[in-house]
Order: sequence, then C-alpha cells, then structure tokens
Amino acid sequence: MENIILAFQNVVTIENVSLILFGTLVGIIVGALPGLSVNMGIALLFPITFAFQGMSGILMLIGIYCGAIYGGSVSAILLNTPGTPASAATTLDGYPMAIKNGEPGRALGISTFSSVFGGLFSAACLMIVSPLLAKVALQFSAPEYFALAIFGISIITSVSSKSIIKGMMGGIFGLLISTIGIDSMTSHLRFTFGSIYLMGGISFVPVLIGLFAFSQALLTVEDAYGEEAVKYNVKLDRVFPSIADLKRIFFTVLRSSFIGTFIGAVPGTGGDIASYISYNEAKRWSKHKNEFGKGAVEGVAAPEAGNNAVSGGAFVPMLTLGIPGDGATAIILGALMVQGIQPGPLLFTEHTSKVYAIFLGLFVANAIMGILGFSSIRLFVKVVNVPKKILIPIIFTLTFVGAFAINNSLIDVFVMVFFGIAGYFLIKFDFSMSAIVIGIILGPLAESNLRRALVMSSGNISIFFTRPISLFFICVSVLSLVAPIISAFIRERRLEVDNFKA
Amino acid sequence: MKRKSIILIAVIMMFSLIMTGCGSKEYPQGGQITVIIPKSPGGGTDITARGLIQYMKEHAEGATFVPTNKPDGNGVTGMVETANAKKDGYTLGMVTVELAMFPHLDRSPVTYEDFIPIAAPIADPAAVIVPVDAPYQTLQEFIDYAKAHPGELQVGNSGTGAIWHLAAVAMEDQFGIELTHVPYSEGTAPSIAAVVGGHIDAVMSSPSAAKAQVDAGALKILAVMADERTDIFPEVPTFKELGFDFSIRAWAALVAPKDTPEEIVDYLVTAAQATVNDPAFKEYLSKQGISPVDITGDEVYKMMEADHKYYGELLKMVDVQ
Repeated sequence: MENIILAFQNVVTIENVSLILFGTLVGIIVGALPGLSVNMGIALLFPITFAFQGMSGILMLIGIYCGAIYGGSVSAILLNTPGTPASAATTLDGYPMAIKNGEPGRALGISTFSSVFGGLFSAACLMIVSPLLAKVALQFSAPEYFALAIFGISIITSVSSKSIIKGMMGGIFGLLISTIGIDSMTSHLRFTFGSIYLMGGISFVPVLIGLFAFSQALLTVEDAYGEEAVKYNVKLDRVFPSIADLKRIFFTVLRSSFIGTFIGAVPGTGGDIASYISYNEAKRWSKHKNEFGKGAVEGVAAPEAGNNAVSGGAFVPMLTLGIPGDGATAIILGALMVQGIQPGPLLFTEHTSKVYAIFLGLFVANAIMGILGFSSIRLFVKVVNVPKKILIPIIFTLTFVGAFAINNSLIDVFVMVFFGIAGYFLIKFDFSMSAIVIGIILGPLAESNLRRALVMSSGNISIFFTRPISLFFICVSVLSLVAPIISAFIRERRLEVDNFKA
Repeated sequence: MKRKSIILIAVIMMFSLIMTGCGSKEYPQGGQITVIIPKSPGGGTDITARGLIQYMKEHAEGATFVPTNKPDGNGVTGMVETANAKKDGYTLGMVTVELAMFPHLDRSPVTYEDFIPIAAPIADPAAVIVPVDAPYQTLQEFIDYAKAHPGELQVGNSGTGAIWHLAAVAMEDQFGIELTHVPYSEGTAPSIAAVVGGHIDAVMSSPSAAKAQVDAGALKILAVMADERTDIFPEVPTFKELGFDFSIRAWAALVAPKDTPEEIVDYLVTAAQATVNDPAFKEYLSKQGISPVDITGDEVYKMMEADHKYYGELLKMVDVQ
C-alpha cells in the first residue's frame, strides 16, 4: 500500500501526466495511420527517453503503446482499413456499423469503451496476478503453442460469413504465403526463386494494407464513379455508448479482456491473434449470431477489448521474467535497462516502487486514452462526410506511404499493390480477407511449433495429446470446426420431426 | 567590356565552386551521412547503431548522421545497398555477423571484402546457458554428460544456420558430442523462456539475454566462447581458459563501402575510436546489457575475415543449403 502511494506521488505529476498525454496522442495518430506500426512509434521515440530522468520516459512509451493499439481501430471502423494488424478483426463489424448502418458514433463509442476497459482490466491483472500468469505462460512449450495456433486457425470458419469453403480456401492461401522465405526449422529456402527480398518472406504489413485498404479504395472508386456526392445522414446524438449497448456487451468485453491479457502474457503472440480469438468467442457465445458481419455491437467490442488487454498482459513476462511478450515490450525493456532497471524475477523486490510506477502508468495511459478517444469521436466522425473524391486520393497516398515506411522498401509497395488488386477481385468473389490474414499470422506459429514439438519428442505425435493445455486447445478447435455442421444437422432433424408431427 | 568582366567573374566563381567540391578536406562539412541499418528498429543491432552514431556526432565535427532501417531479406538488402552506395563517405552502413555466414549459403552477393570496416562496438560471445538445478556444474561436466547421453541433450538456438546454432555445432565438432538442436527462429527470448520453463536442457545465446534469469538464480552460465571474460559476468570462465581455443561471437560493425577514399576512412576511424572508448557510450551499451568492445579499423577486418573462414567450415557440417 505504501508503495502504491509512493508510486502515485511519482507518477501523477504535471510533467509525467503531460508526457503520458503526449505519448498517447502520438500513439493514437501512429496507430490510426496504416503502415506506421506500434513498434515503429515506440522505437522512434525511444531515444527521447534518454533525456528524462527515472521513469518519465518509460511512461511516455507506455502511452504510445496503449494509444497505438487503440488508434488502429479508428481507421478500421471509419475506412475499413486497419491501422495496425491488431485491428484487422475490428473491420468485420465496425465498418458495417459505421457506414452501412450509419452509426459511426456508436461504433467508435463502443470501441473506445471496450479498448479502455480491456486496457484497465489487463493493467489490474498485471498488478494482482502477474506472478501467477507468468507461471502459466512458462508452461507453454512447442506443443501448446501449436495447439493455440490450430485453435486460432479454426476461427476461419466463423469470420468468413459468406462461404465457409471460400473462407478455408482463403486461409490456406494465407498459410501458403507464410511459407515463403527461409524455412524456420531447417533454414532451407522456400519459393524464393533467387530473390533476396523473398528470402525474408513477404512482409506482412504491406499485404495487410493491400488486402484491406488498397482493395477497399478500389471498390470505393467503382461505387463512387459518376455518383453525386451523398451526404450521409450521420446519427450522432451521443458519443458514449448507451446503457442498453453496455448491458449487451458487458460479458463480451470481460471475456475478451481476459483472453487478451492471457494471450499477451504468452511470449510470441500479440494483439493480432488476441483480437481474432476474442471476436470468435464473442460470436460463439452471442445470442445474435446472425448480426455478426453486419455491424453487431459485440463484434466491435470484442476485438478492441481483446487487443488492448494485450498491453497489460505483454508486460507480465517482461517484468516478471525479463522476457518480452512482444516487439513493443522488447523496446520498452531496452528503455528500462537504459535507466538502470533490469526487469526479471528480482525486479519486484529490488525496484518495487518502479514496478508500481509502471502499473500506475498503464492505468493513467488507458484513462487518458479514453478521455482523448471520447472527446475526439465527433472529430473522427467527420471523416465519413469527407467527399469521396478527396478521401480516396488521401487513402491511396496513405497506402503507398505506409507500405514503404514499414521497411523503407519499394518492393513492399509493389507487394501492396499486387495484394490490393488481388484483394479487389477476391472481395468481388466473396472471399474473406480476414481468413487470409489469419492464415498469414498463424501459419509460422503453427508450423515452427509443430516441427519443434516433434524435434523435442523425437517424432512422437502423442506429445500433443498427453499434455493437458495442448489437449484442451486441440479439443476446443475440433469442437469449433464440427459444431456448425452438427448444429445444422440437429436443426434439420428437428425440422423433419416438426414436419412429421404436422 | 562590362560583359567580358561579368563572364570572367562567372567563370572564376564556377571554378571556385568546383574546387570546393574537390576538396575532400571539407569532409564531412555540411553533408548528411546516411547510416543503413539492416535490421528492424528496436532490435540489438539497431539500438547499438543508433547509440554509436549519436555519440559519434560529438567526435566528428559538423557531421549529421541519419539512420535508415532496411531490414528486408534478413538484412541482406541493406548490406548490399551499403556495398553499392557512392564511395564518398556520405553513405555508411552496419553489417552483422550474418555477413560471415550468408555468403557460404549462397544467400548474400556481398562478403566482408566489399566493405571497409570502421568500428565494431559489439561482439557478444556465445554462452552455454543451463537451468541452475542441472546435473552439471562446469563445461567439462556438461561435455561428459553429453558424451554419456548422445543426442539426449536438447539445446535451443536462434534458428538453424544462425550464429548460436553454429556455436552448438562448433561444440559438437570440437568435443565429439551429439546434441539435439531445437531452433527458435522467432528469436532469443522464446528460447530463454523455454529453458526457464524446463522444456529444453540448455540454450546457446549471448550472456546478456539471460541476465535477468541468471541474477534471479534460475539459470546459470557454464562458459562463454570468447578470448576474455565479459564485463557483465566476470565470474564466468571462457572456453579459452578451459583449454578450448575457439570463439563464436555475434558482432555488428559500422562500415563504409569498398574503395571509399582513404582520408575519409581515416577520419571516420579516428572519430569512431574516440567514440568506442568514450565512457558515456560504454555506459550506454552496458545499461542495455551489451558488453562494449573497442575493435576498430583493421582489427575489425581481421575479425570479419577470420570469422568468414571459420563459419564457412562450420556451415559445411550443417545441411542448410
């Protein structure tokens, strides 16, 4: 308690709060622009932290981290363009709600609320149960990672609303793309055709920008051609979500926050995976399954609560074990070390007040994120009414700049355009972009852990079924694959019985 | 008459302008020096490079350094770009230990011969890291255990054909032991987590990556593959002390493209020498858990050349073509 009060006095100073405010603001902007990633934002401001004494610089980085994950949702909802990979799942229901249903304020309000809730929930988890979480995370070895990845891939059936077969084709296409480059186990070259660029694999972010943003912009050009500018009748009477909405999403947000915190705590997995799994679980447990994909409130709340909850989770292994949970926390770890703080098991006993300063920093950053978010919703929403002939060139410019900025590579720009044009036709043929993205995200995780597990067990497949966590995830994956088929079967039978009775 | 004098003045001015352009003494006055970092922002190479140029600014009057990250193709693209850059001293680059490995695997069109090294501020040795409750206390006991149980010890590394894998291969080769290699191509952090979680028996990595866990008493380092003990773990013996004379280290070096004029290189080496010996820069690296080294100029070239040859030998034993 004494530590908390001490840390409170340290963190809540005008200097620190304004630094967090600055960081969060930068984060939201970086996050909202596709191609500027969370890690890039943190890495670019990292040198500035040298200038500050003690924890101030670290608190700023925490602000960027939280803000950037949230910022990605703004462009996902308004432009159908995820600002960061973590917000790809938010486009599924956020964009339909904002544009097709004409409720951008509602969508942004719900995403802001869910993001803040997820962030605060995970910060609380970090503060209360981090040693326990760290222990569970350490139980994850190759078989568990593989089972988790399989579980993630099984989601493809639920995000591809229009056709499950086409969803699976997309997923396999994504998995195939992820095999390009250096084989993660043997280091042999696969599908590189002598190209140095392909050796490192196809960069993920340009593919994401192409599939979501470029293709979407092409579609908008097609729609808008020869059309008079229509002013959307945007209903924006409130920026805060209504009581009815809050009631409806409460359990979804809680569940997603838990999922996000846990996935963040497992090293090597992050917001992109957490948001898709949260979305899928929201759909599984929802009473309004048919609304998903058309602007379901749960569908907006789940991925945003899930990806923001990753922030607190990712700090768990970083602070307790000295092992970063993702790229962003790896850079923050570096910044802590510059300040003479070595995260690890000894951190909690040696630098207790600093640990609490980080906890409090996360709380404050999430609170500021909420204030900034809610107060800018009216401003964000104006994007919807920007005439298409102005908006589309801006989006096209952003896609090119974003694809180039991520690696300073012109080839990435070509890759982006290629996937953008491919995405345009795939959308026309009712393929799901999310299925492809899930394949690309989870392919490497599944493949390298499958093969690593088999190296560990000398080729014995039973390793996946004799370990409880792994067995659990595999059973759940099988269930989620089979469940739609079985439930369809039961429905049919019931219908037959009813007909018979009639 | 008036026109003539104007032409004369113009000609004189033109010549004097050309003369200024010729004077290499002016380097690096007014020009921006681009430094190509072949790795993503935030990684070890990036942090070292950005630190190096930040402190080097003070030892190179009037120079401004601009870092650019080019992580494509596992860093090869960035290194190729440095090699092909104009040889005027305004484009420098970082090269990493992969430069001594990839050419043998036909993955890099450039080798150490395409560069003139300026300084290597980092050369982290490979360390043998095991759980603290492992049945072996010393490197010798580890080797004996491996001999008694061939193929049973599972040793994590940062990817097949990567530097820490080569370190394990070098041990197999030198001691005639057989290890099971478990590659973690995602990087060092997951491999350390795996050994802490008890999923594998040992991991090869830089000593700094395991510092938190060693300090906490969860892991121990048996030995490091360096000529001298590291600053962060002065109590850990080197392979050399124990009578095994080979070293594997992950270095990164600031280089200029080959054929850069000698006076420019001399200028940069002098500035870099002052920087790597600057206590403030050393402290910057130490705080990141990196043991600073002060290898500059020709010494770097010799290290790159020696590693190029040795890693070529080791890679022949690994099937990674």
